[in-house]
Amino acid sequence: MEAVKNAFDFADMPKSELTIAGLGMAFLLLFPVLPHSSFAMATMIQFLMFSLYGMGWNLIGGYGGQVDLGKAQYVGIGAYTTAVMMIRWDVPFWISTPIGLALAVGWSFIIGYPLFRLKGHYFAIATIATSLVLKDLFEVWDFVGGARGLELPLKGDFPNWLYLQFREDYYYFYILLGLFVLGLLVVNGFRHSRLGYQLRAIKDNEDVAKSLGIDAHWSKIKAYALATAYVAVVGSFHACYNFNIEPEDIMSLDLSVLIAMMAMLGGAGSMWGPIIGASILVPMKSYLGDWLGGQAGLAGLDLLLYGGIIMFIAAAQPRGVYGIVEAVRARRRK
Amino acid sequence: MALLAVNQVSKHFGGLVANHEVSFDLYEGDVLGLIGPNGAGKTTLFNCIAGFYPLTHGSVTFGGKDITNLKDFQIARLGLARTFQIFQASGDLTVAENVMVGSFMRTRSRSLARKSAEGCLDFLGIADTGGAMMTELPVAAQKRVALATALASDPKLMLLDEVGAGLNPSEIEGLIEILKRIHSERSISLLLTEHVLEMVMAMSHRVIVLESGKKIAEGEPAEVVKDPEVVKAYLGDHFVKRREEDGDA
Ligand SMILES: Nc1ncnc2c1ncn2[C@@H]1O[C@H](COP(=O)(O)OP(=O)(O)O)[C@@H](O)[C@H]1O
Ligand SMILES: [Mg+2]
Repeated sequence: MEAVKNAFDFADMPKSELTIAGLGMAFLLLFPVLPHSSFAMATMIQFLMFSLYGMGWNLIGGYGGQVDLGKAQYVGIGAYTTAVMMIRWDVPFWISTPIGLALAVGWSFIIGYPLFRLKGHYFAIATIATSLVLKDLFEVWDFVGGARGLELPLKGDFPNWLYLQFREDYYYFYILLGLFVLGLLVVNGFRHSRLGYQLRAIKDNEDVAKSLGIDAHWSKIKAYALATAYVAVVGSFHACYNFNIEPEDIMSLDLSVLIAMMAMLGGAGSMWGPIIGASILVPMKSYLGDWLGGQAGLAGLDLLLYGGIIMFIAAAQPRGVYGIVEAVRARRRK
Repeated sequence: MALLAVNQVSKHFGGLVANHEVSFDLYEGDVLGLIGPNGAGKTTLFNCIAGFYPLTHGSVTFGGKDITNLKDFQIARLGLARTFQIFQASGDLTVAENVMVGSFMRTRSRSLARKSAEGCLDFLGIADTGGAMMTELPVAAQKRVALATALASDPKLMLLDEVGAGLNPSEIEGLIEILKRIHSERSISLLLTEHVLEMVMAMSHRVIVLESGKKIAEGEPAEVVKDPEVVKAYLGDHFVKRREEDGDA
């Protein structure tokens, strides 16, 4: 099938990028057996999660150019579906996750239909609003624990593959790494698919795209749904990994912005962008946040720093770190 | 039966009448020129036909089908392609990928789309630019890419809005050659606007003249340019008077 062929087709990537990607992958595979602190392991897990969030965001925000600042609502739907189903009905992760995914994607169609009638800033603001409204609803909804959130029960039987409960972090790490590879392949397939081309054409010039028979509204909704699938699955994973979820943590505007920042910093609309972004922002967030949090009066300073980074990117290189790489390569060619 | 029938089409922008009860038929195999001074309403009429603007009055049929209330992308899929007068080339796609977007209107397969795109670039004599970004190309080549993209969508009719604008005389000559080949080798009917006459005159079987949103003349190019109303629209009253005087002398 051509879709599968497309997912494994890396022929259009420069050799240098594939070499670096291969080395990176080797490092990730070996990381758990290399000497590391548990803090480093936790940071790596965050890196993988945010790479996946960013990859999803990039499908609509990067390739499609539709700045989405409401991805946290889908983290919430995924996480809450898995948590509620496990707490109430003992449903294993592997069954609740596809259900959470389906609910999130269904919700994304309902939200996406009116939202994509809006353009530019109005769209961005509307995504924030819908996400916050959903968060407020969850905060007053007793069935899902209200503002206190939910605590997942320990099921015992470690390592418990059914409910994704492990004593050692490397189990979580390798499960995420599997999702990470799958996520990359899907992005690669998307990039080569008709929808991928059409979305980039829409970003380039929506009128030209329409004159080529593209239903821009529907194309955006489809890409938004695919982006949502990534975010919902990682949300489900997060619930199991964290054992505790609250609306304020997983449905906040902070999280939505952070997800968007991964791709924007690393390079929106490029395949490696979200991964580059996560490899810079996640360590910075955990180490700097840890250190600053320890200094009296400096907590929150890291947020200021992120704001500064985004402003710098917007002004200096809208295509992010990967944009700098491309610019250097283009100059060398000449 | 007309391939494209424009019936009493009017388009108002608030109080401004951009098109007023314009009617004409275009038959399969036609090359029809739509001329008129700047602001005459040519681009607006294209936008009305192609479904980019809702009509104020009137109707449009294409291939016998009423397309008045269809959406822009639906009309495109029926085989009515258009190029834009103001074409902003930007960032994310290479030339070949741009053209592939046109091909994707007819296929889901990337390999088929690529093959068809390569064929179209070759047809337009710009096969060597496939790997470049649009922004790296000179204007004349960008216009050819736009044509290649429209061609890749395999249309029955192309609406070309001032494709010659901004080109020098030798580039225009090349463009005329290309358009003639698109018409004869691909059997695509053409409707072209131009406010510079030479290109439309060189190509069209028939010409329609718009002025202030109204159709003021229709006929063979050689006849139409002699029409005093047309000369007046283009060159102003005093020119007509001078010609009359010249004729008297
Ligand atoms: N979207 C629009 N809104 C308001 N007025 C418009 C719009 N598009 C065109 N017009 C007006 O309609 C008239 C015809 O414009 P246009 O169709 O662009 O002429 P042409 O292509 O023949 O130069 C002009 O007076 C122009 O200002
Ligand atoms: Mg015009």
